[in-house]
Amino acid sequence: MKGFLKKTALIVFGALLLATLISYGSLYFLRKSSFYKPSFLVNAVKDSKFDYIILGASTGLTTLDTKTIDKLTNLKGINLSMDDTALASHYLMLQHFLAQGRTTKSVVLAPGISAFNATNEGISDNDYRFMMFVNEPWVYNYYKEQKGYEANVMQYSKYIPFAGVSYFNAELFYPSLLSAIQPNKRNRFDDSGNYTYPVIQNRKSKVSKIKPYIVEFKSQYFEKIKTLCGKMGVDLICYISPTEDMNVETSTSDYFFIINHSQLIRDPNLFYDKSHVNSIGREVTSEAFAQELIKIINK
Amino acid sequence: MLFNSLDFALFLPVIFILYWFVTNKHLRLQNSLIVLSSYVFYGWWDYRFLALILFSTIVDFLIGRLLNRSENQKHRKQLLLISILVNIGLLGFFKYYNFFVDNFVEAFSFFGSEISPSSLNIILPVGISFYTFQTLSYTIDVYRRKIEPTHDFIQFAAFVSFFPQLVAGPIERAANLLPQFKVPRMFNSELALSGFYLIVWGLFKKVVVADNCAFFVNQIFDNPSGYSSAELFLGAVLFGFQIYGDFSGYSDIAIGTARLFGFNLMTNFSFPYLTRDIAEFWRRWHISLSTWFRDYIYIPLGGSRGKKFVQIRNVFIVFLVSGFWHGANWTFIIWGAIHALLFLPLFVFKANRNHVNTTRIELIHWPKILLTFFLVTIAWIFFRADTLSMAWSYLSHIFDFSDGSLGLFYKTSKSMLFTMIIVLSIIVMMLFEYFTVQKEQKEVKLNRLTSLLVILLIIFMGVFKNPSDFIYFQF
Repeated sequence: MKGFLKKTALIVFGALLLATLISYGSLYFLRKSSFYKPSFLVNAVKDSKFDYIILGASTGLTTLDTKTIDKLTNLKGINLSMDDTALASHYLMLQHFLAQGRTTKSVVLAPGISAFNATNEGISDNDYRFMMFVNEPWVYNYYKEQKGYEANVMQYSKYIPFAGVSYFNAELFYPSLLSAIQPNKRNRFDDSGNYTYPVIQNRKSKVSKIKPYIVEFKSQYFEKIKTLCGKMGVDLICYISPTEDMNVETSTSDYFFIINHSQLIRDPNLFYDKSHVNSIGREVTSEAFAQELIKIINK
Repeated sequence: MLFNSLDFALFLPVIFILYWFVTNKHLRLQNSLIVLSSYVFYGWWDYRFLALILFSTIVDFLIGRLLNRSENQKHRKQLLLISILVNIGLLGFFKYYNFFVDNFVEAFSFFGSEISPSSLNIILPVGISFYTFQTLSYTIDVYRRKIEPTHDFIQFAAFVSFFPQLVAGPIERAANLLPQFKVPRMFNSELALSGFYLIVWGLFKKVVVADNCAFFVNQIFDNPSGYSSAELFLGAVLFGFQIYGDFSGYSDIAIGTARLFGFNLMTNFSFPYLTRDIAEFWRRWHISLSTWFRDYIYIPLGGSRGKKFVQIRNVFIVFLVSGFWHGANWTFIIWGAIHALLFLPLFVFKANRNHVNTTRIELIHWPKILLTFFLVTIAWIFFRADTLSMAWSYLSHIFDFSDGSLGLFYKTSKSMLFTMIIVLSIIVMMLFEYFTVQKEQKEVKLNRLTSLLVILLIIFMGVFKNPSDFIYFQF
């Protein structure tokens, strides 16, 4: 029995030790790269003072082009949106941004429309992209306060790094190999954090009816973002991106600004799908957004 | 409880410690621990169906004892019939009730009569096809006086519910497994270590090979009309590797786990994708089921005795029943029929035992191996498809050779990544198997270094996010 236990323990612990070392390496290369937004912000963004930052999901990522906006307004912005994320992740991104000693005058919040009303918020699909910073208290605490198996995996990666690297191996381990060779490689966003969907020729809309939708800002993470912005003296701008099938109305507030572009575009050729614009749509939206933004900033 | 879950990773060491360090001095206590842990293992999935296992266990235990006592042949036949009716009845109700009702209704509507079906929303208890066959083999063997019945209920309950092989086999014979519960177990380091290596190898096949293949297989089979001929063909090939990795991986983990507790289970897979004809394939694929059908259906039907027509009929029946055993769907029956048609020419021309002496592969064998793999792959399409019409349209689209594009496998960075992982893992698996076959060994034998490397491959190449269930749990 002793011999068996010794041999198996040696193999298992040997493998786990190697896995831990490989995982540390993996997270190290990701942390030093520009592959995902959190490390891109740390390693590739040289400026520390911004006029505005965009926090959002795929809508924020693909609707607002900071390069167009900056050209039209002479402001300095950066897009920190990540697809498949919700307000909780945007709150984490804001904390991450501030923790780098960076400042901004305004935060543009551009999540998926339903996120503003969400009351049951959990971990988002792409929150693993912060895992290389799990040792930082704002990231660790964020994972800790989330519920569910995946949140636990991410939280315990602080102590057992191979738990997260193995669970998200397609998303973390393989990109880390790429990052080790090409640290400047970015995962589908440009040097200002923007991404665009292509134009689909002769696209036909599948939407037959435009439904009304009321945004009530009920999310607890919205409250947290609002409070943090208030504490830092930063303007909060809620952005409703164009949709094909919804006419969004919002409850007004004195504490933040709202730019509602839900009905800005009606031409189906400017959409990639019903809730995302394509590159031409992005140009139109960014120009309209720039005009609104400058008004708010000059107020 | 799944073998590839954290629950099992915690459950196994706890039971191992209790088994070898707490209950090791008392055989009955050790067997009781096996029963208890097996019921916990099964109840983790759905405790309500524990009653079914217990019922089947009680019935066959009592019938076994009565069969032994009785000398009256008529009475003994009646007892055997009760056992068959109870076990097949359970299986029939839970697995085939809706199939028969639906087909009955369709048959009536064909003749113009409308009847309203009363399909039930029946949940298929995991492993029912496996443990009912195992208990049936016990009563049949006692009836045939091939084995003595046990008089110890705990021993029998442990034999029926032994957790490593309870839900997906190997389907053990009482003659092999039951005696192992009767004798005190001494810890055998060599056996346990080989079990540990087998668990590692089985996990690799399941978590790395099968679950990565599922990424493409599910996409393709969910919407076959959206893919090219070449993509569909590769989808079928990948399903072949998925089901092999999944099921043989499960069997390896089961056999390996049993060895940790001092038990020897039968080999269930013996490198079936390195076989030179369909007959050899069936001698090396799901061996415990094939031999079960051979012993309890084929031979009682007359086997290879009698006229050629009767022999062919017997072969056909066994393959059809084997197909139907897998599920209540015509697709499985046709899958069985295809294999029967592939097997029969070899059988008729007495070429079905051409490769019984050696598993060693020569260069000249490769065309035969590839042809056998191709035929098996084509048959898998029926096994995997939801309906016969879907299988047929899938197959016809492959053979219209309309489009050779393989875009699905490299279009996005994610699909390219999965393609690389799958290709690499299949190469690793087949190379290990090839060298094992060349050494004429029965199973892949890892050592300290290779097992450590395989664990690393599992950690960094395995699917842990949204893993697939074991395919054979549904049978």
